[in-house]
Amino acid sequence: MREETRLIIETTNRILSDLCTPGVVDATESGQFATQLWQTLNENGLILAGLPEHLGGAGGEMGDSLTVIRCAARFAAPIPIAETFIAASLANFVGATSFSGGVVTVANGEFELSENNTLTGKANNVAFARWADRIYIPAKQQGASVLCVVDRDAVELTEQVSIAGEPRDTIEVNLVIDAADIYQAPSELQDYARRLGAMTRSVMMSGALESALELVVDYSLTRQQFGRSISKFQAIQHQLATMAGEVAASIRAADSLAQLQQPVELEVAFAKSRVGQACGPCAEVAHQVMGAIGYTLEHHLNHRTRRLWCWREEYGNERQWQELIGHEMCRTGADELWPRVASL
Amino acid sequence: MFQGLNFEPVVLPETADALRKEVRAFLDEETGWFPNSDFNTGASAEFSQRLAKRGWVGMTWPKKYGGSERSFLERYVVTEELLAAGAPVAAHWIADRQSGPLLLKFGTEEQRQRFLPPITRGESFFSIGMSEPDTGSDLASIRTSAVKVDGGWLVNGSKIWTSGAHLNHYMVALVRTEPASENRHAGMSQLLIGFDDPNVTVRGIKNLAGESDFNQVFFDDVLVPDDQVIGEPGNGWVQVISELGYERSGPERFLSSFLVIQELLREVGSNPTDEQAALIGKLVAELVTLRRMSISVAGMLEEGKAPNTEAALIKELGNTFERIVPEIVRPVLPQDASAHFLATLNDAILHAPSFTLRGGTREILRGVIARGLGLR
Repeated sequence: MREETRLIIETTNRILSDLCTPGVVDATESGQFATQLWQTLNENGLILAGLPEHLGGAGGEMGDSLTVIRCAARFAAPIPIAETFIAASLANFVGATSFSGGVVTVANGEFELSENNTLTGKANNVAFARWADRIYIPAKQQGASVLCVVDRDAVELTEQVSIAGEPRDTIEVNLVIDAADIYQAPSELQDYARRLGAMTRSVMMSGALESALELVVDYSLTRQQFGRSISKFQAIQHQLATMAGEVAASIRAADSLAQLQQPVELEVAFAKSRVGQACGPCAEVAHQVMGAIGYTLEHHLNHRTRRLWCWREEYGNERQWQELIGHEMCRTGADELWPRVASL
Repeated sequence: MFQGLNFEPVVLPETADALRKEVRAFLDEETGWFPNSDFNTGASAEFSQRLAKRGWVGMTWPKKYGGSERSFLERYVVTEELLAAGAPVAAHWIADRQSGPLLLKFGTEEQRQRFLPPITRGESFFSIGMSEPDTGSDLASIRTSAVKVDGGWLVNGSKIWTSGAHLNHYMVALVRTEPASENRHAGMSQLLIGFDDPNVTVRGIKNLAGESDFNQVFFDDVLVPDDQVIGEPGNGWVQVISELGYERSGPERFLSSFLVIQELLREVGSNPTDEQAALIGKLVAELVTLRRMSISVAGMLEEGKAPNTEAALIKELGNTFERIVPEIVRPVLPQDASAHFLATLNDAILHAPSFTLRGGTREILRGVIARGLGLR
C-alpha cells in the first residue's frame, strides 16, 4: 500500500470515528444533514482527494477518492461524498476549469437541453438532492451530450428515501440554463457517469461488507448461549467463514478499481458484479448470526445491511453488469477467453 | 481489519508476458492428450520431461539443484497456462509444488542434492502421504508408525487416497515416531519412502469417474534409512502446516472446471441470450477475482510469508467456484449442445466431488478461516 493511501485512510477513519457515530447516521434518517462531518472532511481535503487542484481537489489519484469513499461507507456515512466525486469527475471529463464548491450531487435521468438552453427532464433516486447546493446533470442536446449544472433551489424536488433511509429524491427540471453552466461533452458522458457510479457503489459495498463482518464477529465473541460464546459453535463458525470468503473477494474486486486511472468498463463490471452478488448472502449470514437484536433499529448492523441492499441496485445491479461481461466475452470467443482473462 | 482478508494487489513481473508466450508456443507443439483443466487428471511422464527440459519444473529452486531461480510469480504464469490448456501435469505436480519446497526448507544438503535435480529433470515424481483408512480430516489421528531401529526407522501401517502412487517414485509420508500423547500434534515426522521398496504394496482404487488415480499404500516393516527423514524427528506437524500456503493457494484450486466455461463460449457462439451472457459474465467476474487473489498470495510466498488463512480462503472460494460451474451452466445450455461439450461437462461433473475434498475439505478450510477471524 502506498504511504499516501495509508495516510488518507488514517485521517479519514479518525474523522469518521469522531463524527460519524451511529447516532449521527440515525439523525440523518430523521432529516438532519451531518453538516459537521461534511465540513470536517472537506476542510481536510478528503471530499475531493483524487481530483485536480483546479477543480478544488487535493491533486491525488482517482484511487485516493475511492479510498475515502470506501472508508466513509465502512462508517455508513450519510453524506453525498460519492456523488460529489462523480460530479467532479464528470466536470473533469468535460474539461471544466472549475467545480462548484459546497454539497453537490448528480442526477441521472432523461434530460434534454433545447436550442435556447432550456433544460427539461426528470430523474429518480437523486442521492441527497434535498441537501445539495448544486446538481450536475448529464443531458442531451440535439443528440450530443452536455453536462449541465443547476442550483438545487431551481428544481422541483419530491423527497423520497432509499431502502436504507437515505435521501433518494425525485427532481424535475424545466428552466433556462446560463451558458456558463453548460459543458459540451464526449458522447459517452452518460455511460461514463454510470461507470463512475458503479465504481463508487462497488467500493462502498466492499467497505460496508467488511464493517458488517467486523460487527458480527465481535458480537459472536461476546454473545453467550448454552454456557459459551456462540463463536465456539461450528455452525456459527462455518457461516462466518463463508461470509469472510465473500467479503475477502469483494475487497479484492473493489481494490482493483482503486488502481485505475479511468473507469474502465470491464473492470467496473467485474467489481460491481462480484461485490454485488456478495451482498445478499453476506447480509443473510450477518443477520442470522446476530439474531433478533440485529433486526432492530437499535443495533447499527442495519446501517450496513440496508445500505448493501440499496447500493447493489444502484448504477446497474450485478445481473446487468454480468450480461455486459458475458456479451463481451462471447465476442472474444472461446479460443481467446483464456488469453483475455490472463491479460487482465 | 482482520488478518488474512486483505489480498494486496500484485502486478506480475515484466518477464511474465514473454514467459507466457513461450509456454503457449510450447503447448501449441504438444499433442497426444485430451485436455482437462483438473490438475489431478492426466499424468504423463513424457510430458513432464518435455516441460522439465524447458526449465519449468522446480523453476523457482536454486540452480545448484537444477532449478532456474525464477520467481513464484513467474511459476504462477507457467502453472496457470498449463492448467488453462488442460495439459497433463499430474506426474510432476506434487513434487514441483510441494515436496521440493519442503526439502528446500527442511531437508539436509545431502537430501537436496540427491532428490531435487531428478525432479527438475522430470524423472522423479512424488506423492503426498497424509490420509489413512481411519484418518481423514483429523490428521493428528494418524497411526502409521515408524519405530527407531539401527540405521533407520521401521514403518508399519497404511496410507490411502494417495494420488499417483502407482506411477510415482517417492511418498512424503507423515508418520508417528512417538505414540500419541496429550499434545496431539507432537511425535509426528515426515519420511521419504520409495515406492520401489518390496515391503511397500500399492493397491489401486478406482474413482467414480472410473479412473485409476488414487491408491491405498501398505507398509509392512519398511526400513526407511535415517537420511530419508525430512527435518527433525517429531517436527512433522509444523512442517506439514508450512506446506499449506503452497498447497492451497494456487490456480489449480479454481481452474479445474475452466474448460467447461471455455467450451460453453464455443457452444453459445458470439450471439448468446442475455441469460447465457449473464451466467458467463458472473463466472468470468468470479474467475478474474479469484485469479487476482491467488496472484496476491503468490506475491506473499515470494516475500517468504506464510499466508495460511489467505490460502484457505482461496481454496474455499475457488473449490466452491469450480465445483458449481458444471452445475449452474446446465440450465442455460442450448438444446443442441454438441457431444464434445457434453463430454467436457460430464467429465467435470464426475470430478467435481473431489474438488472440495482433496487438499483439505471444505469443513477443515472453514475452520482455518474461522481461526483467522479469531473465533477459535
